[in-house]
Amino acid sequence: MRAYLTVFRMRLRMELQYRGAMIGGILCQMFFGIVLVALYRALYAGHPQSVPIAHVTTYVWLQQAFFRMMLATDPDLLDKIRTGDISYDLCRPVDLYGFYYARIGAQKLMGSLMRGIPMLVVAALLPYGWGILPPASPAALFAALAALLLGLLCMCALENITMAFTMRTLDPRGIQSMLNLLMVTFSGNLLPLTLFPDSWQRVIRLLPYAQLLDAPIRLYTGDAPLSEALWILTAQGIWATVLILLGMALWNANRKRMILQGG
Amino acid sequence: MRISWPAGGHITVSTRASLNEGDQSVSYIEVRDLKKTFTVRKKREKGQFFRQKDLVTALDGVSFSVGKGELVGYIGPNGAGKSTTVKILSGILTPESGSVRVGGRIPWEARREHVRHIGVVFGQRSQLWWDVPILDSYSLLKDIYRIPTGDYEARLKELTQALQLEPLLRTPLRLLSLGQRMRAELCGSLLHRPELLFLDEPTIGLDAVSKLSLREFLRWENKENGTTILLTTHDMEDIAALCSRVMVLGHGRKLFDGKLPDLLEQYDTVRTVSVRYEGSAPALQLPPGVTLSAEDGSLSADGELRLNYAPAQMPTAQLLALLQEAGTIREMTLQPENIDHLIAAMYREMDL
Repeated sequence: MRAYLTVFRMRLRMELQYRGAMIGGILCQMFFGIVLVALYRALYAGHPQSVPIAHVTTYVWLQQAFFRMMLATDPDLLDKIRTGDISYDLCRPVDLYGFYYARIGAQKLMGSLMRGIPMLVVAALLPYGWGILPPASPAALFAALAALLLGLLCMCALENITMAFTMRTLDPRGIQSMLNLLMVTFSGNLLPLTLFPDSWQRVIRLLPYAQLLDAPIRLYTGDAPLSEALWILTAQGIWATVLILLGMALWNANRKRMILQGG
Repeated sequence: MRISWPAGGHITVSTRASLNEGDQSVSYIEVRDLKKTFTVRKKREKGQFFRQKDLVTALDGVSFSVGKGELVGYIGPNGAGKSTTVKILSGILTPESGSVRVGGRIPWEARREHVRHIGVVFGQRSQLWWDVPILDSYSLLKDIYRIPTGDYEARLKELTQALQLEPLLRTPLRLLSLGQRMRAELCGSLLHRPELLFLDEPTIGLDAVSKLSLREFLRWENKENGTTILLTTHDMEDIAALCSRVMVLGHGRKLFDGKLPDLLEQYDTVRTVSVRYEGSAPALQLPPGVTLSAEDGSLSADGELRLNYAPAQMPTAQLLALLQEAGTIREMTLQPENIDHLIAAMYREMDL
């Protein structure tokens, strides 16, 4: 267990070194946030929707703030697979899945906190209808934080599945761009899931992607009442378990058929 | 009279190589009839619907055993199956058939238990973290191998002293030179006191000084801690300086297993000796097996006599005595063939 914690800690510290990337990420995500907010305001000016605009802008800001949790892969890990440095990790008395899970988790957690916290502070200063609303209630905030943690677990599991596929194809780009398209669409990053037609929402909410950020955000805004919190957290927990088990199975299958190319 | 030895002095090889004789009574690694094939998919030819698949045999029934504390060199041309063997022995790859026992364990079945006892250095890969000080990478290894703190500190001190790493411990890996990096990698692989160390081309790309100090360190580690070392390399100097035993692999088969001098003797076909006499060269009756180097059978322009001879036919000592009898020798140079040439000749003969 120590080893997994140490690799988690080391990756956290390493992520802290990349401050330039952090500033770049914040600027980029702020830009996208403002463009999206302006877009939805224009949409609402013509056709007001059932969801209040302040909820939509809150949704957009939270999505942007934790964007790094979703779309960020560890380039070192992909390089290891491509160049074969992974052979060293195979010579360690650790479970590879768990080892990489800890690494990915640290990167996503630290990366999104470094970007998310400053962004949320700025977004909170924006006027009503542009910025982010405070949480529906203190209890809602706690429920949202718990859901965010479970979302992170799902996210790392998904990432590890991508890694497992990369070990087969040696190039992550194909599988990544396909999965990323699914992810930005069904996680509510492209369009808040609350704006999808109700019948669609019922299906999309069942997908793993809705567990990542949509679930915590809905708990935060109160869009999902606290009475539903337990149900939402359970669904997330089930998905996290399923995804982790699937990833482990893929990794184990890979180990058996693995070839390390070149001398 | 002055006998000048050529640089490198390959003649002394035999005495140096017998320095570290392992305890062969207990065999630590047992490999029996190991086989491994890889599927290589080729580019699809025009007019064919499916890609062609080729089966490449990397190992075709290799057997050997290595005793505890032995220092064994494992050589062969590129693609002979050396790295494949190392990967199987370290539990990364699973072979098609054959049995392997390392310290009583089957590497690919008890992987996690097995790798606790081995250390690996892949000369062309890196195990340390690129962006963090190497000391941090080491403390991660400490937790991975669950090394007790006291033991870890003692071992780290011992290794950093032997490898002269102290001033570099707080430097990120990316700032180290290749030689420094290799020393750092070696330290990382030995922190948990492995019983067995695999070195896959450890001296690749290193300068002469780094190579020499690396070899010295490996000899020290082998002697001091009794670590069994299996070394694959293309650098024959590594083998000559370190290994009491050498195995030659080619086309997935083991072709030779024994002492380096014995291997060299088999392929040491032609040597050259140049002699310069006081005054004019005496007329020599050349014994069988000895010929003049120059094609027209004349002495070289500056009065130097160059002879080729086969050591198997005409022992060196006997020839030297013969030359000395013929006149007063002013200068003499013995030119044994370079080890690389010998190995190349051997590969040619074995049709590799």
